[in-house]
Amino acid sequence: MLRFTIKRLIGMAVTMFFVSLMVFLIMELPPGDYADRYAFRKYSGTGVNVTQADIQAIRADLGLDKPLIFRYFDWIGNIVLRGDFGQAFAFETSVVKVIGDKVWLTLAILGVTLIITYAVSIPIGIYAAVKRGSAADYGLTIFSYLGLALPNFLLALILLYFANLWLGADVGGLFSPEYQRAPWSFGKFLNLLGHLWLPAFVLAWSAVAYQLQTVRATMSDELNKLSVTAARARGVPEGKLLVKYPARLAINPVVSTIGFDVNRIFSELPIVAAVLGLTELGELLLKAYLDLDMYVAGAILLLLTFVIVFMNFVSDILLAWLDPRIKLGG
Amino acid sequence: MTAIKAGGPKSKEERAAEKERQRLLKYYSASQWTLIWWRFRRHRAAMVAAAILGVMALLGIFAEFVAPYGPTTRDTNYLDGPPQIPMFCDDNGCSWSPFIHGVKTERDPVTLRAISVPDPEQRLYVTFLPQGEEVTVLGLFTTKTHLFGLEEGGKLHLWGTDSLGRDVFSRTIYATRTSLSIGVLGVMISFVLALMIGGIAGYSGGLVDAGIQRITEIIRVIPVIPLYMGLAAAMPKEWSTTQVYFAMTIILGLFGWPTLARRIRSQLLSIRNEDYVVAARLAGAKPKRIIAQHMLPSFTSFIIVDLVISFPYMILSETALSFVGLGLRPPAVSWGVLLQQAQSVRVIEQTPWLFIPAAFVVIAVLAFTVIGDGLRDAADPYSEAR
Amino acid sequence: MDAILTVENLTISFRTDEGTITPIQNVSFQVGRGKTLGLVGESGSGKSVSTKALMRLLPGTAMIAPDSRMAYRAKDGRTIEIEKLARNGKAVRRLRGGEIGMIFQEPMASFSPVYTIGNQMVEAIRLHRGLGRRQARAEAIDMLAKVGISSPEARIDQYAHEMSGGMRQRAMIALALSAGPALLIADEPTTALDVTIQAQVLELMGGLQQDLGMAMIFITHDLGVIAQIADEVAVMYLGTIVERGPTKEIIRDPKHPYTQGLLEAIPSLESLDHRLKPVPGDIPSPGERPSGCPFRSRCGQAIEGLCDKEVPLETTFGAARAVRCWLHEERGRSAA
Repeated sequence: MLRFTIKRLIGMAVTMFFVSLMVFLIMELPPGDYADRYAFRKYSGTGVNVTQADIQAIRADLGLDKPLIFRYFDWIGNIVLRGDFGQAFAFETSVVKVIGDKVWLTLAILGVTLIITYAVSIPIGIYAAVKRGSAADYGLTIFSYLGLALPNFLLALILLYFANLWLGADVGGLFSPEYQRAPWSFGKFLNLLGHLWLPAFVLAWSAVAYQLQTVRATMSDELNKLSVTAARARGVPEGKLLVKYPARLAINPVVSTIGFDVNRIFSELPIVAAVLGLTELGELLLKAYLDLDMYVAGAILLLLTFVIVFMNFVSDILLAWLDPRIKLGG
Repeated sequence: MTAIKAGGPKSKEERAAEKERQRLLKYYSASQWTLIWWRFRRHRAAMVAAAILGVMALLGIFAEFVAPYGPTTRDTNYLDGPPQIPMFCDDNGCSWSPFIHGVKTERDPVTLRAISVPDPEQRLYVTFLPQGEEVTVLGLFTTKTHLFGLEEGGKLHLWGTDSLGRDVFSRTIYATRTSLSIGVLGVMISFVLALMIGGIAGYSGGLVDAGIQRITEIIRVIPVIPLYMGLAAAMPKEWSTTQVYFAMTIILGLFGWPTLARRIRSQLLSIRNEDYVVAARLAGAKPKRIIAQHMLPSFTSFIIVDLVISFPYMILSETALSFVGLGLRPPAVSWGVLLQQAQSVRVIEQTPWLFIPAAFVVIAVLAFTVIGDGLRDAADPYSEAR
Repeated sequence: MDAILTVENLTISFRTDEGTITPIQNVSFQVGRGKTLGLVGESGSGKSVSTKALMRLLPGTAMIAPDSRMAYRAKDGRTIEIEKLARNGKAVRRLRGGEIGMIFQEPMASFSPVYTIGNQMVEAIRLHRGLGRRQARAEAIDMLAKVGISSPEARIDQYAHEMSGGMRQRAMIALALSAGPALLIADEPTTALDVTIQAQVLELMGGLQQDLGMAMIFITHDLGVIAQIADEVAVMYLGTIVERGPTKEIIRDPKHPYTQGLLEAIPSLESLDHRLKPVPGDIPSPGERPSGCPFRSRCGQAIEGLCDKEVPLETTFGAARAVRCWLHEERGRSAA
């Protein structure tokens, strides 16, 4: 198990290295560079005439005149060695300050979303497979189709509308106005929980639709396995039988796709955040892209991908633990 | 007469048996594609979905003719106006041809803003094939004739107007063309990439395969929409509508290939060692023949299924990107661009008709998904088509 | 005969999309206490379906005809009418495993891949014998030793995929026996094994049966295997038993053309220079049952006008033998 874990950890590091290369390329992609944008932003409207020489000075000052490969190592080196993700010009401070505790808010949203996703899709998927061909099964299939077809921002708007209608105005965002800038307290935490359910529900929607299909399909397969008939022929009570034999195996594909679920959730996060007014990384990423604040955008993209890669690692380890057929040497 | 009566049922039975035999003969000798088509035809939901998509595609192709007005034509007399649904009856009686009520301007008693309200005294009749703006259909014909409109130069806004007085129906029709065509181009680009990359990986194996696998894995691990956003954000602001359009198809196509490439690669690798391919090789068949006769047919149907189910991702991605302002930009119209105007709860309350393009998104995605499922069932050689 | 199981007139139909099919028709047989009944037939003859009915393991679409009887004499002496039990009810669960055990053709697929052999054995022992966890484990180790698995203390914590084919089959037998059944249904248990291992497993099963005083229904398509292990044989064709009787007599003097065909299809050392004679044709599907005698479409001795019109009755020879064939009936002989 230890060897297996170390092997996966090394694989994770290699993947992250390539991911960081890719993220850096995306950061370099927009026309002009940081110095151009910095100069434009700082001096536009002030009447100061910025010359090419001024920009060149900024460039040299920040080390941006070096070749691409050196700039990459400057950037990644600062991140790995000092936890310094560079400067955010829109806020005139460091990226780390801008991101701040938004990382934890994002992880909180992710956590609640994943819990909802699995708490809903696993039992209902199993139920649909056991009651295959029933009205409930067809109903769930239709729900799955809709879940995959409804754009998440639309769902967010609809839910927001009804939440406003029934629960009053205080449902959007992550905090009520009085807690927005308040320091962390138990009250603030409760307030956060009260606001988390809406984004988590929206984000879980399509993940549930997808996993429901997976669980239903594997559970149907597993129900027809000889090992289930054999256990039944040994007199194992039906309820215990379902849980111990087919259901136990039907969650394996769910575990193996945790990384994909996180990917899907993060993929939808910026848009859902924009509609619901969430103040976390997804919304910040969108803002950074629109402002071409590429150090912020790169940092967030890197962080989100890191979480996904890490969850892939967790899912590998979990799966190896759940399924003895997986050879730990490999 | 008696002879016919006696022979009747028997010959009927014989005829039925003969018909059954013919049917089975046809079934057993049918080609793979005929079989898939037969099985697909039995999938009623998929047939309905295909018909709906067909209609959507036609609407898009003939947008200039179907839409009564241009996508940016403004009707300043009817701002944020609700849908005008043609009727046959009102308080003044009924008529054989559909009509709508005219519009008059009044001041809102509270805000004192000028608002448009229907004038029940004025009837405007709907006409078909009226003359209107001059448009070029299919880039070939120039015509002033549109599918429908209002008599006496009145303006019919079937699905209402936005805050600038632009006709939502016309804009949605034009947007259908943009959104569907972006999907088609994006899928085509990713298909070509997948075929090349997956093909190379599957054929060469070894180090090349391992390297390609690594790249695929990395692209799959970065969240898709944020990745698209990063690329879309890099599009220079001064690009023209057309440039942005093609850049979007390339962005969507550029990262749509990993799933399909993996599929092609693994199919190639597994088929290479299938008994029937080995048998063909041992029988002395040439590589070209083995690929064309034995390997390709066994998975082209799966590739087609994968292509169809990748459409929804393209459409949803385009919609999402344009929705947040990182995709297509006005004055271009796509479903996502139209939905940019519907970003807040206030829109649901005040001008819900601006959400009509969303219905198109949902229907198109549903249709592609259902067709994909139908095709998947039909392409499965072990399912019965009888 | 002191019968542990008496089956009479067992008829089973399934509802399908194409209508109702009846893969089992009027099947009757008995299993004596401590004896072995061999159930022989090609695949599709209904061997497995009829034994699954004994455990009420058939899916919900299966219907057992109202005049079917399956009477089982339980270990405590009571008679259980299996056909009257509720599907998946408590009484059926006590029957399954505890009274009637079952082993299958594929030991790999019969074990759950995510639990150890021991886990599944302990579960069965605790369900049926009311032992504590520790005692149950000791029992399981004991049983593994009995089926000839070396170092059972270590093997008990292994998974099925960590064992060899023959070992897995032994573990499967141990699992079925650990619940202490009085009747064991073995559904082609040796078909997937190498010939040498097959012989070992057969020998083991015979020995265990004697030690435990257990009755057995042994399903196979191989009459050679039957000759080694069964006291009585029932030959099935298309859902009916065409011939039954003591094994020795049937092998020495088969009466039904189908049994004769099966015996001729067995290769033997004396007949190496002859070509094997398979039974001609294929078994029809239950939906396309021939009228009259089900075997007539493949029978060389079918009597025109009789075999294609009427279902043959059962003709008995002495106390133990019976055959369903017009050739052995008065009317058939006179017609021929």
